[in-house]
Amino acid sequence: MNQRGYRAFSSIFLLTLFSALLLLSPAAAFAVQAQPPVQTEWWVWEIALFVFSFFLGIIAVIAGVGGGVLFVPIVSSFFPFHIDFVRGAGLLVALSGALSAGSPLLKKGLANLKLALSMALIASISSIAGAMVGLAMPENVVQLSLGATILGISVIMLLSKNSAYPEISEPDTLSKILHIYGIYYDEQLKKDVSWQIHRTPVGILLFIVIGFMAGMFGLGAGWANVPVFNLVLGAPLRVSVATSIFVLSINDTAAAWVYLHKGAVLPLIAVPSIAGMMIGTKIGARLLTKVHTRVVRKLVITLLAAAGLRALLKGFGI
Amino acid sequence: MKQELHANRVQLSYATVLFWTSTLGIIFIIAGYLTYVLQLLPSAVSPAEVALHWHLRAAELHKVVAVPSGWDWLTQLGRGDVISYASIVYLSSVTMFCLAVIIPAFVKEKDFIYTVLTLLQVTVLLFVAAGAFSGGH
Repeated sequence: MNQRGYRAFSSIFLLTLFSALLLLSPAAAFAVQAQPPVQTEWWVWEIALFVFSFFLGIIAVIAGVGGGVLFVPIVSSFFPFHIDFVRGAGLLVALSGALSAGSPLLKKGLANLKLALSMALIASISSIAGAMVGLAMPENVVQLSLGATILGISVIMLLSKNSAYPEISEPDTLSKILHIYGIYYDEQLKKDVSWQIHRTPVGILLFIVIGFMAGMFGLGAGWANVPVFNLVLGAPLRVSVATSIFVLSINDTAAAWVYLHKGAVLPLIAVPSIAGMMIGTKIGARLLTKVHTRVVRKLVITLLAAAGLRALLKGFGI
Repeated sequence: MKQELHANRVQLSYATVLFWTSTLGIIFIIAGYLTYVLQLLPSAVSPAEVALHWHLRAAELHKVVAVPSGWDWLTQLGRGDVISYASIVYLSSVTMFCLAVIIPAFVKEKDFIYTVLTLLQVTVLLFVAAGAFSGGH
């Protein structure tokens, strides 16, 4: 088998393994039999959640998507936990991932503190509002809007094209006042790259919407942060990805506190998810060069769309 | 390659505090979780009891079982379930610690805009952590 064939085989094997795990897990058995819960020992669920999150972490890295966005729709579809707790755990999964990735990105100058702080203040306030609205909404409305959002995210992920080094002819006034510019060492180009941004007010407005949705559904918001930083504000792709992670750590902190106060965080659900996802992410990063990332990304988008559709159907009571 | 060329001193301070506080947070949540599930300390509500009700909405579950939420656990620190919950509270506070640390650094650099922005950000997070936006629990 040549290198290409081997990578394609590895990718498909990984996804098949993940799907099989999903189907064979007690979670899937439960999903077929509607509530009330079947009498499965609690620790079986804990192990299933850990193993599931571990594989989710692997494929999330390979597909280049945040674990949080995959976690909520899939776990709420296949595990017996109420979506309130899944959203709370989803926020904490995204938060812990962002916290552990943040330090090296800031040290290398890839994440920019001033760019993040300028967007995060208003986004964190809207994230709090989103969390409050999300926890007050009836369950079927949550499922319906989550399903529609996830389907929308699948389309964005399928169609969005990033720009590695956008050209900015003139930074806007607000970005000049806020001193938003920077320089980072680009490993690919082997040289320092300086950057600036434009359309700052438009970016701030978009972050209000992103923060609200992230808080409402407990999703990490990398899928939206990165295109806004990169395509709207004109930050280089690497800076956009790294700063997105940093903004996410502030917004998700704000929303997580609403979930904590509303009693929507159970350590029994949150901790195995965080631990599984973190270990999976580290292994996924090592497998990155060995599998066909494009194939995995398309399959993950399909999986995400299926989970979105399932949430939508649940919302309609089907 | 000089690190300060790419990240200023404030950013580097934030990164250092973030590294230590988040590493401690990860250790803390795993230790807290093991204390709870292995029942190394007594808990008011056992994992098996929580599992019987985790299909309920958060508000309904809290009517049935006394699992910790918000800050209502502060007086019961010797319980396994409380220690596990407290570790999550700590993890949710890491960003606040890091932001609080860089306020004096911005002041020292006489960066008025970012001193105010960071102060406002910390205030928002402190308010939500205090339960001001969610009516507590």
